[in-house]
Amino acid sequence: MKKTLFAALMLLLLTTFTKAQTYSDFTLPDVDGNDVTLSQVMDKGPALISFWATWCSPCKEEMKKINDIYNKYKDKGFQYIAINQDNQKSVSKVKAFITAQNYNFIVLLDTDKKIFEAYNGKDEIPYTLLINKNKEVVASHTGFKTGDEVTLEQEVLNMLK
Amino acid sequence: MKNFFTFFIILLLFSSLTYSQNKLDVKASLNNLFRYGNGSENNTSTEYAKEYFENITDARLKVNDFVLGLRYEISDPIEYGLDFKGIKKRYAEYNNVKEGISVRAGDFYDIVGRGLSLNVFEDRGLFYDTGIDGVKVAYTKSFGEKNPVKLKAQIFGGDINYNDFITPARSETYKVRDGNLELTPIKYLTIGANYIYAKGNVMASNLLTSTDLTAILPEGYLSFNYKNLQLFSSYTHKHISTVPNPISQSADGDGFYSSLSFSKSSLGVTFEYKNYRFDVVGPDQSNNSARPTKMLPFQNPPTVVKEHSSTLISRNPHVVDFNDEVGAQLDIIYAPNDKLNINLNSSVASKHYEYQNVGTYPQVVYARIDRSTSYLPSLKDAFNPFWEVYFETEYYATKKFYTKIAFSRQNAITYNQEIPLASEKVLTTTIPTEFKYSLSPEYTLKLIVEQQWEHNSTFALKQDIMNQFISLTLSKSPELSATINTEFTNGSDDPTGKKTWLGGEVAYKLTPSNTVTASYGAERGGFRCTSGICRYVYPFNGFRIMINSKF
Repeated sequence: MKKTLFAALMLLLLTTFTKAQTYSDFTLPDVDGNDVTLSQVMDKGPALISFWATWCSPCKEEMKKINDIYNKYKDKGFQYIAINQDNQKSVSKVKAFITAQNYNFIVLLDTDKKIFEAYNGKDEIPYTLLINKNKEVVASHTGFKTGDEVTLEQEVLNMLK
Repeated sequence: MKNFFTFFIILLLFSSLTYSQNKLDVKASLNNLFRYGNGSENNTSTEYAKEYFENITDARLKVNDFVLGLRYEISDPIEYGLDFKGIKKRYAEYNNVKEGISVRAGDFYDIVGRGLSLNVFEDRGLFYDTGIDGVKVAYTKSFGEKNPVKLKAQIFGGDINYNDFITPARSETYKVRDGNLELTPIKYLTIGANYIYAKGNVMASNLLTSTDLTAILPEGYLSFNYKNLQLFSSYTHKHISTVPNPISQSADGDGFYSSLSFSKSSLGVTFEYKNYRFDVVGPDQSNNSARPTKMLPFQNPPTVVKEHSSTLISRNPHVVDFNDEVGAQLDIIYAPNDKLNINLNSSVASKHYEYQNVGTYPQVVYARIDRSTSYLPSLKDAFNPFWEVYFETEYYATKKFYTKIAFSRQNAITYNQEIPLASEKVLTTTIPTEFKYSLSPEYTLKLIVEQQWEHNSTFALKQDIMNQFISLTLSKSPELSATINTEFTNGSDDPTGKKTWLGGEVAYKLTPSNTVTASYGAERGGFRCTSGICRYVYPFNGFRIMINSKF
């Protein structure tokens, strides 16, 4: 039990050092087979990147809510990039899902999870990052609960200022 | 613990470099998962104390185009598998995005196509890890500007030390060499070829003997993606030669997978087909998961069955037999407006052949009954058939109220060749529902109610039973959620003898990326699966805590 307490204490102390994740440029294919490079997308404005999968219910709820935010602020340059984490068993359904929902934001495929790893992702999705015009990761969120879209919208507004 | 502490200090120093260096682009990140559990587990006959303590730290240091990664793990005792203390994974990577060159030395995971010849991955929850320790070189180049021809080439060589995730003392080791080439001559078409050469050693189930083997797996695949249509097809052949070469075991096998998707506004349709014949053997050998000619652990093709989020449906999943299974899945998504989503999914699967005993009593010799339509699944009991029909509607009634109602009917037969009347027949009908209501912009109430009727021919006392699952969650965005779960059955065959399970869970976000989750209570046992890899998780009663942190 001693080591349990020690480790828990260490982790709680470490959370005080928490800082943003780091920006890393990448190129991934979209659902139509086009290569998309993050830095080129970000020339248009700040971006919200979210790692998601078709089997993940909170991811789909988050996607619906972020789509509303995207439609509200896309004219101001805001970019939404959904990076899919489906593996070999469900990746075939990704385009069908996106098209059926009439989503128009950028959806990229990261089948080998290399970009997820580069952005310090670990197991739990949705994993969402906000990157400002200076290419700094200003916020990151793991998981999604109803109501979290209020915080996300505020963070998007802060980036657009 | 000293090493653990020193490791943290070094990482914190690395982190501080992020701010102090000007010329070098130095970035560090750290991911930590702490898990502790204390209670009792029931392995179908006895109840015993269960305690685990696990801390997994993944650190990553990026200096310009170079990346160094490390995983430090303390699992003592581990929840599943073998205890471990020390550096579990490490790697160095060089990425030159401009030139399209990537070199990685150390531990890595990879997938080719849809994983028919290669798909190595980790699932800690199952103690499943087929990671490779070696060197990988990848090169990507586009030729031409207007209609570029894209080339992707990759080679790697490395070792896999795989511990059987069910019997960790049984190990398999492989030296794997792989060459992969992908060409995109026009935008809509990609053609790929992969070649694997592996030498391995597979320990037998008795843990005393082992077999050396050489495996060769060539694979070809193509992907076509034009407007509303998407097609992917892949075929791989597997040849294994063993020393000594066991009599009556097939050394050749193959696998085919294809998916066809059509999508347009509001509608998405996906049809998938699988025909896995990696090691078609008779009923007397099919239960030996340690036979050296089986599908190799670095392969993992698509399951082609639906993966459910419902607690009751996922408790009795279809365990895919990658060595001998043919089947198909149809998935339709229809979203007529932004309030309503409809999903229809149906899948079917079976073995390729049935067998008959042609031996003279008391000798048992199984002979395959060939059939010309073995590329199609059969619903006859002797083929171990599985089928499912699933229907789900999601309705966003208002901004505050959301509801999901689903229906699932599954049928699975595990045929007993010697005594057909003793075959296991499981038929379930499940209705999962979910209701969510936002009390305010911050507070949300979520209720999940699932009802299941189950017929299981192997239950001794009562073959037709009913299961119920109810979960109530109150969440406060963004930091807190509290859940009470309860489950009930009127069956009498649960190994614990229980009919009711009650548990609670609280999750609190210390920061947006640092979460503490604690739970207490009784958890019902059942299968847990990832990509067709399934473990039976024993019932647990006690306390668990998990701290997930990103720095």
